[in-house]
Amino acid sequence: MKRTLLIARREFAAYAKTVGFWLSLLAFPIFGVLGGAIPILMKSSEPVREVVVVEEGPQAAGLAAAVQTALKEDQARRDKQRQEAEANIQAAAGGTSGGNAAKGALSGLDGPKIAIVAAPADLSAAAPGAAREAVARHYLGDEVDKADRLDAVVLLNRADGKPTARVWSRRATDSSVQRFVRTALKEEYRREVFEKAGIDATVVSSTAAFDPDVTTLSPKSASGGEVSFRDQLPMIIGLASGFILWSLIITGASILLNSVMEEKSNKILEVLLSSASATEILTGKVLGVALLTMTVLLVWGGIGAAGLIAGLPQYAPMIGEVLLSSGLLFYFAAYAVGGYLMYAVLFAAIGAFCETPRDAQTLMGPIMMILVVPLLVMQMAIRTPDAPVVQIMSWIPFFTPFLMSARAPSEPPMIEIVGTMAGMFAFALLMVWVAGRAFRAGALSDVKLSWKAFGAAIGRGR
Amino acid sequence: MTAALTLDGVSKRYGDFQAVRDLSFEVEKGTICGFLGPNGAGKTSTIRMILGLQPATAGRITILGADDGRKVRDRIGFLPEERGLYKKMTPVDAIAFFGALKGLPTGEGRRRAREMLDAQGLGASKRKKMKELSKGMSQKVQLIASVVHRPEFVILDEPFSGLDPVNQQGLEAMIRGLAADGATVLFSTHVMQHAERLCDKVVLLARGNKAFEGTVAEARATTPRFLELEGAIAPDQAAGLPGVSGVEVVSEADGVRVLKAGLVSGGRGQDALKAAFLNGLDVRRFELREPSLHDAFIGLTGDNPDQDQSVKAAEAAR
Repeated sequence: MKRTLLIARREFAAYAKTVGFWLSLLAFPIFGVLGGAIPILMKSSEPVREVVVVEEGPQAAGLAAAVQTALKEDQARRDKQRQEAEANIQAAAGGTSGGNAAKGALSGLDGPKIAIVAAPADLSAAAPGAAREAVARHYLGDEVDKADRLDAVVLLNRADGKPTARVWSRRATDSSVQRFVRTALKEEYRREVFEKAGIDATVVSSTAAFDPDVTTLSPKSASGGEVSFRDQLPMIIGLASGFILWSLIITGASILLNSVMEEKSNKILEVLLSSASATEILTGKVLGVALLTMTVLLVWGGIGAAGLIAGLPQYAPMIGEVLLSSGLLFYFAAYAVGGYLMYAVLFAAIGAFCETPRDAQTLMGPIMMILVVPLLVMQMAIRTPDAPVVQIMSWIPFFTPFLMSARAPSEPPMIEIVGTMAGMFAFALLMVWVAGRAFRAGALSDVKLSWKAFGAAIGRGR
Repeated sequence: MTAALTLDGVSKRYGDFQAVRDLSFEVEKGTICGFLGPNGAGKTSTIRMILGLQPATAGRITILGADDGRKVRDRIGFLPEERGLYKKMTPVDAIAFFGALKGLPTGEGRRRAREMLDAQGLGASKRKKMKELSKGMSQKVQLIASVVHRPEFVILDEPFSGLDPVNQQGLEAMIRGLAADGATVLFSTHVMQHAERLCDKVVLLARGNKAFEGTVAEARATTPRFLELEGAIAPDQAAGLPGVSGVEVVSEADGVRVLKAGLVSGGRGQDALKAAFLNGLDVRRFELREPSLHDAFIGLTGDNPDQDQSVKAAEAAR
């Protein structure tokens, strides 16, 4: 036992003492925050596009006003949405800083920033067609003073009575004005057609703006009726747990693989084997990397909890309650232990046969393919946790930790929980036995790794 | 004397390849035993069986009174043929870690590590990382790591390989020191000169079979003394000298040959020299030579210990 702990301690210290470990550990939350913040920052820092709308003759009369009205309506709609969201947040948060943060984020995610400005006199005065377009090109170019420069010139017209537009844009790749004008003209044409058919314009716009009030109900909801965000939270947590578990297990098992490979290539394994049994070495290494993985989990969990409390304090108690009340924390811990054990010993045994990552590819390829399957099925397990394919796959020990973590919040039958967990642990123990034999044989072997050699090593033991 | 190690009819087979065949020998407590043979003769396989890292296909091994090396691993020190330590560790940490695995308290391990590193002239490298040390320095550190817990039995697999002559001398001194402190030392090598200088006893291994077991003197006695003649002399002229048996040409240049001529049992060098003088042979150098362990090995096995008999190809094939 003492030797096992010594090896575990060395294994932990070898990684935990490196700057690289802490950098990669912090990289996940940092990139997570950046991944969420960058689009908001980009959106909020997006400049307002100054756009001129010009009608190309009397046949286009009314189209500029329609575009202007569409812009105002779009702005009003987004303002209303934002106010509603803010009200909801304020109600839940009680006016804390978290609500303000969310409010800022929401306002930053508004639609395209467009301001319709008055057309320069020479542009209005220019004859429709090529002459006006030449002037439009001038105002979009770099030779014009920044103050007079335009971002887009929209030339409105009609063809066969239907609205058309030529959108001159300063940046060839910026399609936001073009998209907005297209929607506005589509709306205007629909209004005109309905009007010609004798239908009132206000009826048309109110019909288009109609958003039915649909309520989701479930006898399994917390209230026994209407489904709230609180009811959806376990599902979100389940999915997040599955993904976190997957990444933790893969990270831990990969660290173990690399560690054993390094010891094999540096000829340390033979020295270790003269000082400790293969079981002690394998157990020590698995334990050391498990401590490392727990450190990662604690740091991620700590950062996540701190971020949640600071940013969305109204949800923090709710998430805590879900984790504790539904036994999710227990499931997560049990599946983490079983899953880690299964994959860690397997990866360590493979590492004992390899001196370079290239050597390991022979066996790692199929294993990685197996590992992708639960990632794909996990999303299905969230939406339809009782689908036969999900149920069947949950019984396959290699997939159990991930799929059952994702399914646990939907409260699958107890027989499935107990059965799959028992199967997973039984298989994990089998893997420990198999990997122990392979590890012992691989550590002293110069044999090139193949499925055949791996199988023979398991049969021979040492 | 009591035996610290006994091998009785030990064999090791890898598939169809017989690496060690019916090997029996003993190593007495407190002695230095050389385990000699070319690369691939079965030395490493035998050592792994002694340590309990690999099971014997047949036979029985007793080390420090135990029937399995794993039961007494804390009382054994082992330096493997292919060496390596954790590259990012300092020598002190590495030595203390391996000492701790053998039951030595970490604090004591660190103290001994510093002391032994100083004694080996590595005091200035104590705080460096292993990857910053030269090969010779690393090997010294690894040897210290294998004996820091003061084992009763030390097994060194090709300890001299890769070392320069100065470090080889230092290592020889360390091995003598271990034995002087009461440890039993078994070391394998294919370089006979080290064994000649160090060993109380040698075991010669060739193609998995024991060729000889005894002292260095006894090994030499198995091979006759020989004459070394240099001059414008033909091999058949040398063969005609009294007491001479078997002549081989060692070198030849500009009509001058160096010949090696074996002496039959009871043959006297002075009789051959007198006959050469009386026959008017052009002998410019005449030397009576005692056989070396290297000569004895060749005489006993017909193999050259410098040639590789690697089992690795066979292992890879299985």
